[in-house]
Amino acid sequence: MKTKTLFTLITATILSLDLEAKPLSYVGGLMLMQENDETGHTFSFDYTFIPTNAFGFYAKQEENGKEIVMLTPEFNTLLKRWNLPDGQGNIFNMSGAGLARFHDNNQPCLWTAFLADYESRRWFLSYEPRFVWDGNIEKSVWQRARIGIAPYLANYNDLNTWIMFQVDHHPAKHDHFVATPLLRFFYKGYLFEIGYQSNQHIMVNWQIQF
Amino acid sequence: MKKHVLTLATMFALTAAVSADTIKATVNGMVCGFCATAIEKTFKKQPEVSTVNVDLKDKLVTVTTKSGQTLDDSKVKKLLTNSGYSVASINRAK
Repeated sequence: MKTKTLFTLITATILSLDLEAKPLSYVGGLMLMQENDETGHTFSFDYTFIPTNAFGFYAKQEENGKEIVMLTPEFNTLLKRWNLPDGQGNIFNMSGAGLARFHDNNQPCLWTAFLADYESRRWFLSYEPRFVWDGNIEKSVWQRARIGIAPYLANYNDLNTWIMFQVDHHPAKHDHFVATPLLRFFYKGYLFEIGYQSNQHIMVNWQIQF
Repeated sequence: MKKHVLTLATMFALTAAVSADTIKATVNGMVCGFCATAIEKTFKKQPEVSTVNVDLKDKLVTVTTKSGQTLDDSKVKKLLTNSGYSVASINRAK
């Protein structure tokens, strides 16, 4: 039992992605991202090859309803960026096409998401709608919004801490609205988030930029 | 006298040739640890660069080049653009 639980936890850790952080890094940079929450477990990595585009791999194991596994290449595009003296705003598109599996049913799948964010050293705001088509398994629309505040202004070599609040809307799921208060910690190229969701799931995300 | 002037001029020219540049770039959009990591890693890959320091508070990237080497403004701007940010100003000191 312990082995199975450990295996599940390791798998969950491996199969995850945080799409709330930026889906691009710097030219030549590699990012590993993961998310574990009430929707399931997601993992991706991407390589930024020009300032506006990254290419990578995306895997998601859905829960909270159908246990669907999606495997796709991922293409991330920076559509617009505003570099301001005290902040940065972005609009990204992330898309993938590949394979979805539910029990023994394999289907082609497509997904696309847009992420709009604004971040200063004090404030963070984001909104992300996502559209998923898993052949005859499932079609879903999902949206997420976040607001965050940094209780202190940290510099590069300090631990950055954020207090955040996230709302998810999943019309196709049992819990249509899920609220999540969470803490985000940043240290150089490492990001870690932990939160508690209103449908009693623990959310754990991490991201590493190489 | 002429010889002394020539010697001094030669010494000055040689000193200038081997000294390092300190480049201070004020950067827009640089607000988080990932921003700073991206900039630091991008500049550290350059063979001309000795040290990189990122200051989020003052939005300042300070780059020191190796002795006798430099990075021109257009390259500094390109490296910051490749990191995802834009340059507000560049100042230099020997």
